Amino acid sequence: MADLADTSFSGRALRRRTFLRVAGATAASSALVLAGCGNDDDDPTPGPDGGTGTLVFAANDTGILNLTYLVAQIQASLYQKVVTAPPSDFTAADTAAFVDMRDHEVIYREFYKSVLGTSVYDNGLTTALEFNFTTYTLTTRKGAYEAARTLEDLAVGAYNGLGRRLANSSYLRLLLKITSVKARHAAFVRDQAEPNSFAGPDVITPTGNQAGLDTIKTPAEVAKLLAPLVPVVLVADNLMTL
Amino acid sequence: MDFLNLLARLADLDSTTAAPQLAAPRRAALGRLGQAGTALLPGLLLSALSQPATAGTLDTRTRLDVLLLVRQLAALGNELHSRALGLVAGYPALPLTATEKAGIQVIQQQEAQRVTVFSQLITDGGATLPATPRYDFTGSRNGTQTALYPDIQTNPATYLLVAQVVKDVAVRVYKSQVDFVRADAYLTETLLRSHSAEARHASHLRTMRRQRGVAVKSWVSPDDAPVAATSPAIAKVYEGESGFIQTYNASGANGQGGALVSVPFDSTLPINVATPPLSAEAILRKVAEAFDEPADAIVATNVAALFTY
Repeated sequence: MADLADTSFSGRALRRRTFLRVAGATAASSALVLAGCGNDDDDPTPGPDGGTGTLVFAANDTGILNLTYLVAQIQASLYQKVVTAPPSDFTAADTAAFVDMRDHEVIYREFYKSVLGTSVYDNGLTTALEFNFTTYTLTTRKGAYEAARTLEDLAVGAYNGLGRRLANSSYLRLLLKITSVKARHAAFVRDQAEPNSFAGPDVITPTGNQAGLDTIKTPAEVAKLLAPLVPVVLVADNLMTL
Repeated sequence: MDFLNLLARLADLDSTTAAPQLAAPRRAALGRLGQAGTALLPGLLLSALSQPATAGTLDTRTRLDVLLLVRQLAALGNELHSRALGLVAGYPALPLTATEKAGIQVIQQQEAQRVTVFSQLITDGGATLPATPRYDFTGSRNGTQTALYPDIQTNPATYLLVAQVVKDVAVRVYKSQVDFVRADAYLTETLLRSHSAEARHASHLRTMRRQRGVAVKSWVSPDDAPVAATSPAIAKVYEGESGFIQTYNASGANGQGGALVSVPFDSTLPINVATPPLSAEAILRKVAEAFDEPADAIVATNVAALFTY
């Protein structure tokens, strides 16, 4: 029974990694060197105009939490935009739901910022990043829900891909507490955009040996999908090594 | 068995059969032994293998235990929804609207798919599948006791309430099970992806109930109309969901086990951004909504037991 996942590639990869951590003092110390790198590269911060720069996520929990922090910033910003200027065809229930989701995302944003402390990627920035939502139509109910759908599904996929990469188990427990609420958001906004699409085949694998399982994205895929919204270059390659 | 495999297996034992509280010190001990040199390996072997026996009364689960549990929950859900849809002989379909029915079909089909996924993982590992249980969703255990939900096979409102409770408790229990499979990346990802799929289903069932006039949000909220505690098992399903306290261990040098930190939601974090600001109590209710709490396996198995005989 200890061999349940011996046939899986990622299972084998993890076994090897666990072995290194358990048996190798050398491996342990090189992990420390990476941890010491913090979240940023040598040239990490966006330029003063907010339009240039590179954000490199480090290969450790700090890098992971900076990515979830960025996602929460983006989502809080999107919901705030809609709450501030609701589409004319929004009902009271729509507004109440967006206010709830805005509050949840602000809570996540501030939670991650609090956990990261001075390691938060925008610690040294005088002005926060401005996100670009021009690809979305936030002036109609349908457009607002579709934008929310894109980002909530992306967040669920990102969280599902990041979970196993976290070293600190207490971070993973918190990530899981948040993941299911994000999935509830996702299902809700999907249902509003299109009835009964809460678990559609574009997010839940419809066939094959992973049928019934939800979306999962690698950090590099997440960075690529976020790129059009963010005024800096996102580099999540380091997270791929975790 | 070659040397690398032996160590990998030890690492697996370490993470999968130990309660989380015990795992970290043991890993730290293994790390120290590793640094001291391979001459100590026989000792490492013995101590790693003898630990699980001394784990006491803490909830300890193997990967097989976890797979059997999540398969049990998926199978129960599959039967509950199949009966509601009229797919099981002797159980006529509930009077759901066409739209409602289409949503339930999605949930039922995905439950069946996950039964297949988990069954495959169990049999691939050389274990056998348990016999199919007998279900009675009225909670009367086949007429041997007073029914908890006597009209569940005829009243959509009762069925949807039970469906929501079963989903919400599954979401809570998945979270606690991930701790026991972390050494296995494939299984960890499978559980995570199943966990969020469950949460999507729970959200949809809640949305359906709200559309039928029940005061319930798509996410678990202190504002939800309380679920009647028809039994102690049901009373446990939402216990502890309304708190706002979240803690974590700041990472030590090895990424584990630093000081316990409480997130200052009730003091310094600037989370109250509404215009005008919410009351202190109201913003903390939002914090409670924003985090779904884990629950031990027994919370879900006790609910499953209500409907199994």
